[in-house]
Amino acid sequence: MQTQSVTTLTAIQPASFEPKIVGFLCNWCSYAGADKAGASQTPYPPNVSIIRVMCSGRVDPQFVMQAFRKGADGVLILACHPGDCHYKEGNYRAVQRHRILLRLLDQFGIEKERCNFDYVSAGESEKFVRVMTDMVSTVRALGPLRARIHRLE
Amino acid sequence: MKVGLYFCTCGTNITATVDSEKVIAELMAMFPEAYSAKVEFICSAEGKSFFKDHLLENQPDRVVVAACSPREYESTFMQILSQAGINPYFMQMVNIREQVAWVTPDPAQATRKAITAIRSAMARVPLQQPLDKKELEACPDVMVIGAGPAGLQCALFLAEAGRKVVLVEKTPVLGGMPVLFEELFPTMECGPCLLEPLQAEILHGNHAHNIELLLLSEVVDVTGYYGNFVAQIKQTPRYVDSTCIACGMCIDPCPANTRNDFNCGMDQKKAMAMPFLGALPNLPYVDWKSCLRSQGESCQLCLDACPVPGAVRLDDKEQMVERKVGAIVVAIGSKPYDCRNLSSLGYGEIPDVYTSLEFERLASANGPTAGEIKTSTGQRPQSIAIIHCVGSLDSKHQPHCSGICCEYAFKFNRVVQHKFPGTKVHHFYKELVAAGKDDFSMLDHARMNPNASFIRYGDLSEIKISAAESGQKIVYRQASGEDGTFTSDMVILCPAVVGSEDSAKLGAMLDLNRNRAGFFEELNGRLHSAQSKVKGIYLAGTCQAPMDIRETTSQAMASAGYVLSGLAEGRKLVIEPITASVNEERCSGCRVCGGVCPYKAISFTAETRTSSVNALLCHGCGTCVAACPAGAINGNHFTNDQIFAEIEAILQ
Repeated sequence: MQTQSVTTLTAIQPASFEPKIVGFLCNWCSYAGADKAGASQTPYPPNVSIIRVMCSGRVDPQFVMQAFRKGADGVLILACHPGDCHYKEGNYRAVQRHRILLRLLDQFGIEKERCNFDYVSAGESEKFVRVMTDMVSTVRALGPLRARIHRLE
Repeated sequence: MKVGLYFCTCGTNITATVDSEKVIAELMAMFPEAYSAKVEFICSAEGKSFFKDHLLENQPDRVVVAACSPREYESTFMQILSQAGINPYFMQMVNIREQVAWVTPDPAQATRKAITAIRSAMARVPLQQPLDKKELEACPDVMVIGAGPAGLQCALFLAEAGRKVVLVEKTPVLGGMPVLFEELFPTMECGPCLLEPLQAEILHGNHAHNIELLLLSEVVDVTGYYGNFVAQIKQTPRYVDSTCIACGMCIDPCPANTRNDFNCGMDQKKAMAMPFLGALPNLPYVDWKSCLRSQGESCQLCLDACPVPGAVRLDDKEQMVERKVGAIVVAIGSKPYDCRNLSSLGYGEIPDVYTSLEFERLASANGPTAGEIKTSTGQRPQSIAIIHCVGSLDSKHQPHCSGICCEYAFKFNRVVQHKFPGTKVHHFYKELVAAGKDDFSMLDHARMNPNASFIRYGDLSEIKISAAESGQKIVYRQASGEDGTFTSDMVILCPAVVGSEDSAKLGAMLDLNRNRAGFFEELNGRLHSAQSKVKGIYLAGTCQAPMDIRETTSQAMASAGYVLSGLAEGRKLVIEPITASVNEERCSGCRVCGGVCPYKAISFTAETRTSSVNALLCHGCGTCVAACPAGAINGNHFTNDQIFAEIEAILQ
C-alpha cells in the first residue's frame, strides 16, 4: 500500500518540486551538530528549516501535525544519541512519541518517511549532512503532501 | 509591535552567499512596523557598542539578531539587551551563518533560506514574554550521610570552610570499611593509621564544633528541595554517655553474646562491647537487639560495673531528630556481592573459603584471630588460592569490573608473602586490571613473588571448589581450554562491589536513580560525577561506583566543592527563568508529567489534585510540556504559541 501511494504521488509531482521540511533539533547535540556542519562548510540542500528546542523531549506531536497542516512536506526530529541526552532521558520520550505518532500519521495517509526521527551528536556533522540530504531526497521522491491534505480536508 | 532586526554580515561570511539587501528589503515589506540595521561584526567591541546605542535610541519592543549560532553569542547579546534596559528574553537569534550561508553555496537559495529563517523569528518574538531570574533563601548547612572515608573527608572539608554539618552514621564508629583493614594498597599503610587523623579531626579538631555527629542513626525521611531540605533522623541510643572513660569494666560482666558484625560474624561479642579495638569514638555501645533488657529482663550488670556514675544510661530511648539543611551528600558506601550466588565456589559450605572482607579481618591485628591467619584446623596455610572477578565481568551476575579487587588481591599476596614466606599464592583471574600511576607496582610486586602463580580462567562457572581431605580441591578450566586440578589450604574470593543494602531505601527517599548493581546515578558521569540528578544532592565514594580510597575522597572533596560554590552563605539561590510551570486551572491531576520529569521536579498535591513544578529543580527541558495531555504546562521561552508561530512562518 505504501509503495502504491508513493507511486501515485510521484506521478502528480510538479516538475520543479522543492519540498518544505521543518526540522526540530535539540539544542545540545543535534543543533550543535548542525553548527559543526556549518563550520566545516559542507553543503546540503536548503529545504529544511530548523526550529531549535532545548530537548527533543519538548517536541509535542502537535508541532508535527501543525507543520503538516500548514504545508510541510516532511518533518525531521533530531535528538541526542541514546544515553547522551543533556536532560538524561528526553530523547527516549521523543522516540516513544515519534513511534506512536507514525501510527497516527498512517491513519491520515501520511507516509512514515515524511516524519523522520534520528540521532545526531554534536560531533556528527557528516551524519547531519547525510540525514538532511537523505530526508530531502526521500521527500522529494514522495512528492508534495499538500495536494493530498487538501483532498482530505 | 516594533521589532528591531539586526543583520550581521560577519565580514563576508554571511554576505558572500546571502544577499543582505534583498533579505532586509523583503522582511521590512513583510513587517511594516519593524526597523533594521546592518552591522559588520555585531560581536566585536564596536559592534556591541553600536548595538547597545542603537537599542537605546530606537527602543524596540522585541529584537531579532540574524548572525551566527545562538550557541555562541546568545548570552552576550542578551546581556546587551539588559544593559539597554530591555528584557533579555525579548530577543531571538537567527543562525544564518552556520545553518544558511556556510552550507548553501547557491546565493538565490541561501537568500531564500535566510528570509524564511528570519521571518520565523520575526513571527515568534512578539509572543516572547519578559522573564526574570528569581531568588530563593537557602540554608547553608549540609547533611552528610555515611562516615566512611568519603563522608569524613567531605564533612571535615565543609566544617573547615565554616559550614555546619550534620554527619549521620548508622554504626557506632567512624571510618567505614577501610578502618577495618590492616593494610591498604598501594602503600601498605595501615587502615586505622590513614584514617585516625581524620577521625580525630572530626571528633576533637579545630572545626569539630561545626560538625554534629549522629552515630547509630538513620535518615528516615527527607522533604523539601535544594536549599531547604528537612531531614528526619532516627537515632538509636548508645546507652553509654560521653562521660565514659572507656575503661571497659562494663563489658566483661555482660551475659549476652551476639554475632560480631565488625568481624563479618566470624566471632561473637558481648551486647555491651567496644566495636573493635581502636574504634573511634573510643566508647563501648549496647547492641540493643541482643541485650537482655530488650527481652524484658532487668539485667543491669554493665551499669553496676561502671565506675563513672551516669555513664551507662540504660533508660535512654530512641529519638527522632529533625534537621534543616540546604544540601545533602550521600556517602553510604557499598558492599561485596553475595558469594553464595556462585554455588560452585562453595562459599558458606566449605571450610576456609573466605570473602576478601573476611580475610581482611583475619589479617587484622584487631580482628577475630588477632591477625593470625590459620586454617580451620589451626594450621599455617601452605597454599592459598585467590579467586579474582567473583561475580564481576559476568553478565549472569554483575557485568562491571569492580576495579579495586586486583589491587587488594595483590595486597593479600604481599601480606601472605610477609607472614608466611614460602606459602604458595595462586591467583585465578578473568582479567587483571592495574591502571593508574600506582597500581602497576602492586601487580609487579605480586609477580615478583617466587611463590605466586597466575592462572587465567574464561568462565567462573568452570571453577569448582569442593572440600578435600585437607583443604579444598579446585577443579578449573583455563581460558586456553586446558583443565587443571589443584589443592589449597585456603581460598579467598574477591567479590564484585555492589551498592549497599541501604541504597534502595535511601534512593527511594531522595528520588535518586540506581543502576542494576545498586549504584546511584550521577547527573553526568564525566562532567558532574559528584552530582546526582536531584539538585542539592551530591554523591561521594563507593555508593556511586566501585572506587579506591583516593577516588572516594576526591569525590568527597568534589561534593563539598559543589556545596561551597552552589550554596554560598548569605547568597540566595537563583532560579533560571527557562522552566516549566503548571496552570492549575487546566491540570486534571493525571500525573503524566511527574513520570516523565528526569529531575523529580514535579510534585503532586493530593488536596488540590494538581501537579506543580518546582522551578528550582526544573532544568527546562520541556519534556513535561509536551507530555501534558491537557496542555496545562507552559514551557517558558519555548511555549506552544511561540513554536506554532515559528512553524507557520516557515511554511508561509
